[in-house]
This record gives sequence, C-alpha cells and structure tokens, in this order.
Amino acid sequence: MQTFLQYTILGLALGGAYFIAASGLVVTYTTSGIFNFAQGAIAMLAVFTYWQFRWGWGWPAPLALLMVLGILAPLLGAVLYQVVMKNLRGTSEVTKIIVSIGVMLGLQALATWVWNPTSSTPRQFQKFFGPKAFAHVGSLTIPWHIIISFGIAIAIAFGIRFLFVRTRSGVAMRAVVDDPELLQLNGGRPERLAMISWAGGSFLAALAGILIQPMIGSAMSAGALTLLVIDAFAAAMFGRLRSLPRTFMGALIIGLTTTYVVAYFPSKWTWSSAFHNSLPMIFLFIVLLVLPQDRLRGATVLRLRERFRMPSIRTAWIAGLTMMIVVFCLKVIMAKTGVNTLTLALTFAIIALSLVLLTGFAGEINLAALSFGAIAVMVVYHFGISGTGDGARTTLWGILLAAVVTALVGALIALPALRLRGLYLALATMAFGVFVSRMVLTERNERELFGWKFTIFTAGQLTIPRPKIGPIDFNSQDAFLFLCAGLFVVIGIGMVYLRHSGYGRRLTAMKDSPAASATLGMSVVRLKLSIFMMSAAIAGIGGVMMAAQVGTVNADRFDIFLSLALMMITVVGGIGYVSGALFAGIFLIAFIEALNLLLKKFAVDYSTLEAIFMFFISAVTVLPATIGITMGKNPSGAVSDIVDGMNLVKQSKPLMITVIGLEAVIWALTATEVITNWNFVVLTLANLILVPMVGGKLLMARAMRGVPKPVPPELIGIDRPFTDEDLAAMDHALNLESVVIPSSTTVREEPANASA
Amino acid sequence: MPLLETIGVKVRFGGNIALDDVSISVEAGSVTGLIGPNGAGKTTLFNTITGLQPLSGGQIIFNDKDVTKEPPHKRTRMGLARTFQRLELFTTLSVRDNVRVAGEIRNRWSLRTPKMDINAETDRIISLVGLGDVADREVGEIPTGKARVVELARALMIQPTLVLLDEPASGQTEEETEQFGQLLRDLAGEGLGICLVEHDMALVMQVCQTIHVLDFGRMIASGSAESIRNNPTVIDAYLGAPESVG
Ligand SMILES: Nc1ncnc2c1ncn2[C@@H]1O[C@H](COP(=O)(O)OP(=O)(O)O)[C@@H](O)[C@H]1O
Ligand SMILES: [Mg+2]
Repeated sequence: MQTFLQYTILGLALGGAYFIAASGLVVTYTTSGIFNFAQGAIAMLAVFTYWQFRWGWGWPAPLALLMVLGILAPLLGAVLYQVVMKNLRGTSEVTKIIVSIGVMLGLQALATWVWNPTSSTPRQFQKFFGPKAFAHVGSLTIPWHIIISFGIAIAIAFGIRFLFVRTRSGVAMRAVVDDPELLQLNGGRPERLAMISWAGGSFLAALAGILIQPMIGSAMSAGALTLLVIDAFAAAMFGRLRSLPRTFMGALIIGLTTTYVVAYFPSKWTWSSAFHNSLPMIFLFIVLLVLPQDRLRGATVLRLRERFRMPSIRTAWIAGLTMMIVVFCLKVIMAKTGVNTLTLALTFAIIALSLVLLTGFAGEINLAALSFGAIAVMVVYHFGISGTGDGARTTLWGILLAAVVTALVGALIALPALRLRGLYLALATMAFGVFVSRMVLTERNERELFGWKFTIFTAGQLTIPRPKIGPIDFNSQDAFLFLCAGLFVVIGIGMVYLRHSGYGRRLTAMKDSPAASATLGMSVVRLKLSIFMMSAAIAGIGGVMMAAQVGTVNADRFDIFLSLALMMITVVGGIGYVSGALFAGIFLIAFIEALNLLLKKFAVDYSTLEAIFMFFISAVTVLPATIGITMGKNPSGAVSDIVDGMNLVKQSKPLMITVIGLEAVIWALTATEVITNWNFVVLTLANLILVPMVGGKLLMARAMRGVPKPVPPELIGIDRPFTDEDLAAMDHALNLESVVIPSSTTVREEPANASA
Repeated sequence: MPLLETIGVKVRFGGNIALDDVSISVEAGSVTGLIGPNGAGKTTLFNTITGLQPLSGGQIIFNDKDVTKEPPHKRTRMGLARTFQRLELFTTLSVRDNVRVAGEIRNRWSLRTPKMDINAETDRIISLVGLGDVADREVGEIPTGKARVVELARALMIQPTLVLLDEPASGQTEEETEQFGQLLRDLAGEGLGICLVEHDMALVMQVCQTIHVLDFGRMIASGSAESIRNNPTVIDAYLGAPESVG
C-alpha cells in the first residue's frame, strides 16, 4: 500500500508535467495550425540553460528560473513564430511539419554544440529545494519537487481554461484557426495572438522540461529530452489537439502507467526497462487507433505555394542515363574513400526515394524511413544470407523477403492513421521509429517462442554482406556502387512511370484535394495502404543496401533523428521529384562529409585560424536544420530552384560559357592533382548550383529593371497589398463605380513575406 | 418521387446555427435553384448532402434511400456529384488529367462497376462543356471562370444522376455564362438532376424551374421561379439589412 501510494503520487506528478508540455502543444496548434515538433527540443534547451545558470554559474534558483521561464523561453517562442512559423501560412501540412522538425533538429544540434556531452562529466540536475527536501504527509515521505510539479500542473490547467473561456483574447485565440480572415475582418489580430501563444507554448515546454528532468533522474541528454515530446504528443492526441481536460486525463494515464511499470514489473523480465521506455510510443499508437475519423477538409487555401511540375518519361530516361555516366566518371577520378562515401550517399538516396513516393506523390508522411530499413536489415540478417565468412553474400530472395516483410509492417503502422489526416500518420510513424530504436534494436537477449530460439539484434550489431544476384557478384566496391546507382535509377524511372499512370493520377488527386476525391467516389483506404506499403518496401531495400555498404551496423545507424534529417533534406531538395531524393542522399552524406574534411584540412593547414575553422565544423552540424527551417520561404524545394537556374543557363550564352569554363578548370585542377577529390565535389556543386542561381538573379534583375512583377490575381492582397488600380478594376467588375469608399483605416496586415 | 430530399436538416457550429430545419427537394431532369445572401448556409447545405459535414439533426434522402449516415464516397457511388465554390481542383494535374482522373476513380469504385472508355469519355466531356482550348494547360493557370467549368466537367465524368453546383458561374464572362446556361438546360433535358447555387439572378431565373431561398440558415421561400421573383420576403432579404456586408 505504501509503495502504491508513493508511486501513484510520483505518477501523478510526472503526468502533470506531461500535461504542461502537452497543453503548450495544444495552445500553439490551436492558434497557428502548426503542430510543434520542436516542443521537446525547447524543453531540452531550457533544461540545459537552466542547468548552466543554476549549477554551471551558481545563480540562485529564483533568478535562474526568472531568466529561463520569464524571459528566454517566451522570447524563443515569439522569435520562432515571427521569423519562421509565420511564413508558413498557405503551405502544405508537409512543409509545416518539416519546418518544425527543422527547428527541433536545429535546437538539438545547437545544444550538443554548446554543451558538448562527451567533454565533461555527466551533468546532474537537482530537484527543487535539493534532493533532501521532503514533505511528510501521514506515513508518506514525498519530495517537495513532486508536490510542486503536480500543483503547478493543476494551476496551469485552470489558468488556460480561464484564459480560453473567459477572456476576450482567449476566445479570439480559439477563433483564429477556425477562420483567421473572419477574425481579421472583425478587428482581431490573429498574427499577434499566434505570436503570444507561441511564447506561451514555449514557456510551458520549458517549465515541463525543468520539472521532468529531475524526476527521470538520469544524466541530461539532449536526445532523450527532445524525444520526451512524444509523451506530450500522446497526451495531446488524447484530447484530439483540442480538449484540455482530456489532454489532462491522457497525461495522467501516461504518467501513472509508466511509474507502475517501473514499480511492479518483475526485475527479471529483461525487456521491462525497454518496455517502460517505449510505453509512450505504444500509448500514442493506441490513441491514434481509437481516434474517431477526421472530418474531411477541403484545401484551406485557394492555392498552395508548393508547385511541382511533372517530369516527362523521356526526361526521366535521359536523367537516368546521365546519372549512370556521371557516376562512372566520378568513380574514375575518385579515391577509394570517395567511392565509399558516394555509394553510401546513393543508398540514402534510395531510402529518400521512398519518401518522394509517399510524400511527394501521395501527400502522406513517414518520419521513420530508417526504422523500416532496420526491419529489412534484420530480416536479411536472419533469413537472407548464404555462405559464411568472406564468402557470405546477401541473396536476392533475402532482399525480396525483406521488402515484403517491411511492406507488411508498413501496412500495420499505417492502419491506424488511414482514416486520419497526414499529421497523425506522421506521428504514428515517429512513434514506430522510436519504438524500434528502444524496444527492437535493444533486443540482444535470446528469446524462445514455440520452441524456436532466436536473438533479434545479436550483440547490438548486425553484419550484412554485399549481395550476389544470380551469377553477378557485387562484392567489390565498384560493382556495388553501380548496383546502388542502377537501383536508384530503376526505381526512380519506375516512379515516373507510376506517376503518369492512372494509379499515379489517383494518388495526385488524393493529395491535391481529399474532399474532391471523396466526392468523386474515391475510397482512400486501399490507395493509402498500397502506397505506404510500396514506400516502406523501398525504404527497406535502401536500408539493406546501406547496411551492406557499411558492413556492420548498430542501432545508431537507424536513429530516429537521422530519419528526420533525411526527410527534412528530401523536402529541401524537392519532395515532388526523384532528383530531390538524390539531392538528399548526396547532401546528407557526401556534401556534409566533404565540407567537414575540407574544414578539418584547413584547420590543420592554417593552424593560426584553427579556432575559426573548428567553429565552422560545429556550424556544419547545424546546417541541415537551418536549411530545413528556411523551407517556409521556398516550399517547392531546392531542386526546383536549381532546375530554374539550369533553364536560365540553357537560355543565356554568357552564363553557359561561364559554367562550362569553370567546370573545365575545376576538372583540370583535379586531374593534375592540384586539388583533391573532395574539393572537386564541393567546387563542382557550387559551380553547378550557385553560378546559375546568382547569374540568373542578375540576368533577371537586368531584364526586369523597371518592370513590376506580375502577381496572379488571386494572390493580390496576399503577395502584395491592393493598389488603387486593383480596387478600381474590382469595382468595375462588380459595377460599383458609383460607390465611393472612404479611405479605409483598417488596411489588412501585410504578411512579412510580401513580394517574396 | 424527388431524386433528393433533405428533411429538417440542422447544422450547428459551436453556438452558431448555420442551418435550421431546412427541407428542400430536387427532381430529376430539372434545374433547382438554391439562392440566398452570403453566409445563408448554401455551401453548408451542399456539404451535408455530400457527407462532408455531419448533421446536428434531420435526414438526407437520395434515390429513396436514407443516406444520412453514409460516408461521402458511398453517396457519390449512388450517383451524387458536386462542384466546390472554393475550387478543389487537382492543381498538379492538367485540365485534361483533372477530368480524366475522375473517370479513373470511377472505374475503380468496385469490381462490379461497368468500366467506361476513359479516353473517349474525357474527350466527349471536354468538348461538351467547351474546354477544348485549355485542355492541355495547367489547371492553376486558367482563369477562375474556366476552372469552375473544369469542376463541372470532372463531376460529369462520374456519370451522376444529380449534380450540386456551388456558384459555378462566378468569374465567368457574360458570354460564358450564356453558354453555361444553355449547357445546364441541355443536361437537364437529358434527365440529369441539377441543384444550382448562384448569385447571378438572371442565370437562375433563366434556367431554374424551382427555387429555394435560404436566409440566415432558414428557408424563407420556395416555389417556381415566377413566384420567387415577386415574393416580398425574398426581395427584403436581398435588399434589406444594409448594415451587413459580405
Ligand atoms: N467550418 C465552419 N465552422 C464554423 N462556421 C462555419 C463553418 N462553415 C460555415 N460556417 C458558417 O456557417 C454560415 C453559412 O456559411 P456558408 O454555408 O458558407 O454560406 P453560403 O454558402 O450561403 O455563403 C456562415 O455564417 C459561416 O460563417
Ligand atoms: Mg457558399
């Protein structure tokens, strides 16, 4: 009884802290329509900052609290909204999700950079009033920290409820998402309200982090704290991102179950700790399973800002052949390490293809592509290898079996979310990804099921040999490089064919307007299920190739953050294009590594400037996230820009001569070994991407001097303010010429990205 | 027996009552008008009929069947199609593919659905509604008036028995509207039931046999075009209330 009460109180306090984080999610989602994946990262950053003030610099607790909760956290939220999130109006759900994931990865990289986890002793974080401050209630001894946490949670619950129901701005806040334009017409200021709510949401995240960290008790870890957000997700889902009382209930249930698992599961169950760690994922999954169906919504904006052209089949073939030739040329000039990196990049590009298929073609989201890769790798390891030692090879049947199994697992994951909106599927996959990392990839003990003994993840690492398909052995690095390149090209061209088929058009229809698709009689279940299975299978194949390239893989290779980064970079590259996937693989693996090597070499060569180069090396870790965050400004992706640039090159002689000339110089320098291969890659990319972009801008500027940019009529007032001419034209169209409108004082607020 | 009947339909948004006890009917082979000032609840009524908006009360009867609880795609498969006031086109596809994909969706309704020849039907519909000149353009590039016709073409592609048109003529030129009215009469002449929401009174009076009038979520009048034109309550609803704009 004593234990039960003790753990119940602990569970309630933990649940209370989850609720605080979850309520922040609900508030920001309600007012800005953006689901903040970075909620946990903000909590994490707050925890580290608070630690720095409180124990790093020895400030008194009230001052540190005031600084973190009163100033820094709300400021961060407000700045995030003003600089990043505000630009997301009129973008698709995918872009919104990706940008907030970018923020999450960025904050995480930043924290790891500032508070390097490997350099010092583990940081300890203490409860309020120290570890020995207990209250005695009856026969129970309860840490004050626990009591405070639960008290604050209840106060916050009532506070928010009061704010939403009783105050004018609270009611207005709820109206923002329903109809921002209406609110604006009535004199409300949705932008300002959204900003305030982001400040509030960030404050709540920070508060939750500071309360939770000492309760979980382990050393501070940026990754673990960031993933705490999933617990908050689960609670928020319980309230369907709307109802705070239900969110509160959900949070308490999660808090209590997790503490009871710790208390009552027999310690001889070797999996109970992993189970405890994955409980929130399981919970989130169950909640998604029982959520009632969403109302179908039409497109909420007349026209999304994302624009994807459909490449022709002929273009696909030409691009595929070109790519094979380029890979061959690169192989000739590159050193062995270079070939290794290029192959690895291509395997990631194959995994990214699964994302293009799912998100670019069908508008659905998978945040755990690499976890599907992990499943496939396990299948291959157990069933798909023939031979031993150096003679071991992955068989074709093994790869196919792995693809089938991943497809089936994919179906299982997608099932709960099929009836729901993209966001929920994204969350289901993220829960799955963390679940795989925590529960499956930690399975090193031998298990017995129906007399069959097996170990899922033997010794924490699996060795996957190169494949041998029919008579062809792909064991040599060069052969394997061509296999990966060929696989990418084949799948890529296949996808373009798919896109031009009736099936592909139905996918596009489902993505572009769910409401119209439904009223044309489409039942989305089979379509969504089939595309998700296909995508999971591709991710699986890519994962097997990745493992075969690396040789021996451990759980880190399938980390959820890597999946998130891959998804983000694919969106940056252009989620609607096969080339976007190639961009993602090359950028995430080859470009980052090349940049790193280059900077390290500079740091050694110019030792006086070492500090500066070391700074840049750290900055590179933040780079992908930074690029992801800017998606709001350019939602169609980088490839789209590059293609535009290339088209300009085709049209402009001087530009073409410059690009070709520069490339020839770079090639010559490499061939004569003046510069290394890596410099060649970096310089070539710079030449092919930056020169057309910059040159194009200059040309455009010269051609367009004095000519105002035309704005499509439906974007007038959004992309630029109404001019008198527009108004006159509208009046004319509406036969209102005789009506005189007094000069209005309530001019519509201008979005910051005017004339972007 | 009317093709479509709504019986006492009620829709509430929070405290707002968007539809209150609305009963209309639409006959096969005729054009029925549904008019009313902005915010009267016309689009909401279409949403309830097609299943995009759940009801707070009332019933929807289509083809003698109570479809109140059916999901949207099931209703469509019984022969119900619609267009959207806020365009819901497939923006990544060309005009022709927007029409074609509707046929492709239709051919997949179930294994028993008799398959149509999609290419032939696409060509037929495109020339029927007069989209030949823009068929290969991106759907995002064409003027709004044309885009509304694409919505109609797409709806016709599934061979419905009833189409609901939500302000299909707004954005069309006078000449386009003229042709559009003729098209509606032709379609009704072939037996199609049409329910038309439209602000262009000339068009409504010209093509509609029966008209229902909504105001603030309530039916205020219902009858032949002639009787509606002279109904004082209707004239009041349209010309009165000078404060409320939009
Ligand atoms: N999703 C919604 N949430 C809340 N109110 C809504 C919603 N959709 C429509 N309304 C309200 O219902 C009323 C009817 O709107 P609508 O059906 O669009 O009118 P109409 O099409 O006749 O112009 C309006 O007052 C509108 O503000
Ligand atoms: Mg309407």
